[in-house]
Amino acid sequence: MIRYLIQKEFLQIRRNAFLPRLIVMFPVVVMCIMPWVMSMEVRNIRVCVVDNDRTTHSQRLVHQIAASDYFIFTGRKPSYRAALAEVESGESDVILEIREGRYLIAANAVNGTKGSIGSAYLSQIVSGAAEGASPPALSSSLILYNKHQNYKLYMIPALFAIIMMMMTGFLPTLNIVGEKEAGTIEQINVTPVRKWAFILAKLIPYWLIALFVITVSLLLAWAVYGITCAGPLVWVYVLAMLLALFFSSLGLIISNYSDTMQQAIFVMWFFVVCILLLSGLFTPTRSMPEWARLTTYANPMHYFIDAIRTVFIRGGGFAAIAHQLLALLGIGLFMACWAVRSYKKNGG
Amino acid sequence: MKQFVSFIIKESKHILRDRRTMLILFGMPIVLMLLFGFAITTDVRNVRTVVVASPLSAESRQAVGRLAASEYFTITATVSTPQEAELLIRGQRADMAVVFAPKRGGIQFIVDGSDPNMAQQWTAYAAQVTAGPQSSAVNTKMLYNPQMRSAYNFVPAIMGMLLMLVCAMMTSISIVREKEKGTMEVLLVSPVRPLMVVVAKAVPYLLLAVLILVLILLMARFVLGVPLAGSLFWIVAVSILYILLALSLGLLISSLAQTQLVALLLSAMVLLMPVVMLSGMLFPVESMPQVLRWVSAIVPPRYYISAMRKLMIMGVGIREVAREVLILMLMVIVLLTIALKKFNTRLE
Amino acid sequence: MNIIEVNGVSKHFGRVTALENVSLSISRGEVFGIIGPDGAGKTTLYRILCTLLIPETGRATVEGFDTVSQMKKIRRRLGYMPGRFSLYQDLTVEENLKFFATLFGTSVEAGYDSIKAIYRQIERFRNRKAGALSGGMKQKLALCCALVHSPSVLLLDEPTTGVDPVSRKEFWEMLASLRERGITIVASTPYLDEVRQCDRVAFLEQGRIRGTGTPENILSEFKDIFNPPPLSLCKTGMPTSADDNIAASSASHAGEDAPVIEVSHLVKTFGNFRAVDDISFSVRQGEIFGFLGANGAGKTTAMHMLTGLNQPTSGSGRVAGFDIRTEYEQIKRHIGYMSQRFSLYEDLTVSENIRLFAGIYGMKSEEITVKSRELLRRLKFEDHKDDLVKSLPLGWKQKLAFSVAIFHEPGVVFLDEPTGGVDPATRRQFWELIYDAARRGITVFVTTHYMDEAEYCNRISIMVDGKISAIGTPAELKQRFQQPDMDSVFTYLARRAKRSSD
Repeated sequence: MIRYLIQKEFLQIRRNAFLPRLIVMFPVVVMCIMPWVMSMEVRNIRVCVVDNDRTTHSQRLVHQIAASDYFIFTGRKPSYRAALAEVESGESDVILEIREGRYLIAANAVNGTKGSIGSAYLSQIVSGAAEGASPPALSSSLILYNKHQNYKLYMIPALFAIIMMMMTGFLPTLNIVGEKEAGTIEQINVTPVRKWAFILAKLIPYWLIALFVITVSLLLAWAVYGITCAGPLVWVYVLAMLLALFFSSLGLIISNYSDTMQQAIFVMWFFVVCILLLSGLFTPTRSMPEWARLTTYANPMHYFIDAIRTVFIRGGGFAAIAHQLLALLGIGLFMACWAVRSYKKNGG
Repeated sequence: MKQFVSFIIKESKHILRDRRTMLILFGMPIVLMLLFGFAITTDVRNVRTVVVASPLSAESRQAVGRLAASEYFTITATVSTPQEAELLIRGQRADMAVVFAPKRGGIQFIVDGSDPNMAQQWTAYAAQVTAGPQSSAVNTKMLYNPQMRSAYNFVPAIMGMLLMLVCAMMTSISIVREKEKGTMEVLLVSPVRPLMVVVAKAVPYLLLAVLILVLILLMARFVLGVPLAGSLFWIVAVSILYILLALSLGLLISSLAQTQLVALLLSAMVLLMPVVMLSGMLFPVESMPQVLRWVSAIVPPRYYISAMRKLMIMGVGIREVAREVLILMLMVIVLLTIALKKFNTRLE
Repeated sequence: MNIIEVNGVSKHFGRVTALENVSLSISRGEVFGIIGPDGAGKTTLYRILCTLLIPETGRATVEGFDTVSQMKKIRRRLGYMPGRFSLYQDLTVEENLKFFATLFGTSVEAGYDSIKAIYRQIERFRNRKAGALSGGMKQKLALCCALVHSPSVLLLDEPTTGVDPVSRKEFWEMLASLRERGITIVASTPYLDEVRQCDRVAFLEQGRIRGTGTPENILSEFKDIFNPPPLSLCKTGMPTSADDNIAASSASHAGEDAPVIEVSHLVKTFGNFRAVDDISFSVRQGEIFGFLGANGAGKTTAMHMLTGLNQPTSGSGRVAGFDIRTEYEQIKRHIGYMSQRFSLYEDLTVSENIRLFAGIYGMKSEEITVKSRELLRRLKFEDHKDDLVKSLPLGWKQKLAFSVAIFHEPGVVFLDEPTGGVDPATRRQFWELIYDAARRGITVFVTTHYMDEAEYCNRISIMVDGKISAIGTPAELKQRFQQPDMDSVFTYLARRAKRSSD
């Protein structure tokens, strides 16, 4: 019986004017554009220099800055005040003032990351140039896993999370509320269809689509960016399916409690934003205050992101992600039970 | 005039009676502000550090002491070989290892480079901390945001996103809903001028947006401690200009979409995605490839967010944001003209 | 001068012809009927008249103003009630009315006289949200909203579809009084008794006007559509409604005289509101049971309890041998159900819908193939089996929905207003299908607002304010209340009940 229901879902997806295009376009757009956009890499920092010394040394320094990949030299200013005006109008990000062999770096720190990284780079150049061949660098660093400091590598696993969320969270939610609004769900409710069969028939197509989309994305990551999975690929799929279980259950719960698409979308969006922001997808969870860090123990996205980055970037295997897998499974099953319970074929 | 007032009353009732949407509309700003203000930070904090040293020299013991004392780092373990440290990092039980190599007298940092930004900041901080206080020729000063709090950067961005969401999405959906339910037919056939129908629809959302603006500003000032450095008058004035822009966008969408679902998807895809991705809200525009920077040039929130950062955080005068304000004004005029031209006084 | 003048108007949507060279003239003070099947172009014609659409060719004028160039002048003089409920669901009854009154530059007080006949009936719900009203009451409220500013021309697009006979009568009485005040009324309707109350009617089919004239002329000219011969029941071996040995005859199909539906003291309350108030009845195997009642009387709620969509507050009942409180999932296996509008997936084709529902009831794949071919042949749908359901005319959808509902040979089939909005000939064809099913031993439980259909039932019950006020064969009821036809029986009961409840 479930076979017919699944068949019906696929037919409806195919007939929809919009969905097939979305399913094809989505991974392509996401994989081709997002990695470029979702980069918090600090580049092209605009520096203006207030050179009070006008020595050959300071000249050389300015050349060095202009030659660096990170900086764009926007020009010399006669005074600190003039330079500040430059920053205020948004023409420059960092001021370097040179006075009697001493250096002042003033960075616009409205964006803290940019301010601190930018000033750190600049002070490296400055102190390198200032001290010349004086004491050798005291420290060196070895960067593991993401050797080329490629931000795209860091973000691509996060994109998988976003893809799963869209495909297995939002689409089934819209689908079920749509049937509610059209009234066809009433017809289904008077048939002997079992609750779980109806729900499963709604989810399986989207799970399959999500798998397809993930595969396409993996291929695109390899073809466009030359980025491949460092660990065993099977765990990427296992993790994706576990996340799908959670998101589709969440979507179902929300659609069971809402009457209109608008409501469902808003509520879903609200939860998704909170889950995403608190997951460590964009910012490290350990920088969060205690209360926020506590919520990550219940946040499946947190486990997913942790695990998939371990597999994808650091090349970890089952042992490295066992506890995340377990947590994801637990949360997913809990949500699934709730979803089936909250779907009522027989209104009170 | 009486008709106009009764129109606005009717529209306000629609908004007020939809409890769940109301809850989201006001819950969203509060939750987002709290999350971005406290939880979502890119600050370097609690970096789990492993110390690698067989015999610790007095010098390195001092360095470790300084690391442990700083708020940035937490020493979680001491191991004897770098290989062991690497395993800990792969297993996600540590982020960074400090290797004291007595032979070369230097320090090596092994960092988890998955997140390039964080890796860079960790090493920069660690180098600074381990080196201890030393007089340097370089003096760094962080302008506007000395503690480098992420909230300073995010609050203007949240304003840009939420105002767009409330105005554009809600207006377009509420107009399209009338189309879908058939009430628009009656409104059009009535002697009321179509322009009035539209303006009356927009007014409650304008008020709602202003209310949300006030809520955000109050929260920013008193809960998050973000300064309102610039003139409050101009902050509100530019925001209202932006709200008008968002309303005209909503109007435009409503004349293109026939069903709520389409309106929803249009506003989500045409508005929300670019707003979040391309406006410089989370990801700096400067780091994007040229093509995307061109695209971001037509995303209105980019200018609003930039203007707000300057006005609110940097505290500059209106003259410094003249460019942004002019562009926003131009956009309002163009969009409003198109939207009003496109508004159908008939069904086709 | 004619108040409405339509000359050679055509309109296409893509490749679909909505109107083709339509010409009409309607004189001042007339009640003009527009009749025709679903999809004939009635709504398009209305929309052109009220300036919402622009005709491709031809010209239309209202009160001498052109619908294209003098839009504003027309809109000031027009009242329009679209076919769909044009109400704000989240505003209360009173707020809706007030809003529409202000919209048209008047007030409820000023317009009260023109609406009081209808508004009185819903006034006691004035603080209830429009979305919580029953279908018929929504329709009444929509009417009040369209009438409150006493326009000089009133355009009504199927204003009484889904409204019970008593309310329809009151509505048309009101239209008559509006006509006396000189208001021109253009109305479309699927009900023959309403067609007869028009001064003149135009019959529209596939975008063309087939004829214009007095109702009698049109109805007799196209009598194969509007006045099909009544179902000849005796010839087919079915018990007629007037026949007293229904039980015996249907029992011969069933083999025993066990009731298929048995209900005692069923109650359903929503808060303080007793939607279904202590009803008891039973239906025998193979019977066609008509479940009548005014709008909001509780029919749909009762039906939901019988089909397991809802749980009763108190009381008990058995359907197809299973308890409605505890065994509702088993009930679902043994019944078919067709709801008012949406039974089929519009974005699936005819044969895909059949396959889906057959599959849901656990039929074997080969069995489905054989039976669906047979069904398509019987319905003469073979050429359309790969058409999307949304492209079919309403009458076809209804026939298909019914056939799908009984495809798995259920013991009982529940039909909730299955024939709304189609012409008499199509309804007759539908009832042939019902008789066919009953002959095969399927019990039919049907609600309807068409009293001619009530006559086709073996037995009927009439529900008023949550209670069953009469039950019996149509002949018995007519005799008991000494009324000439079912329409009068219904009106008599519904009006009497209302008086007692006030």
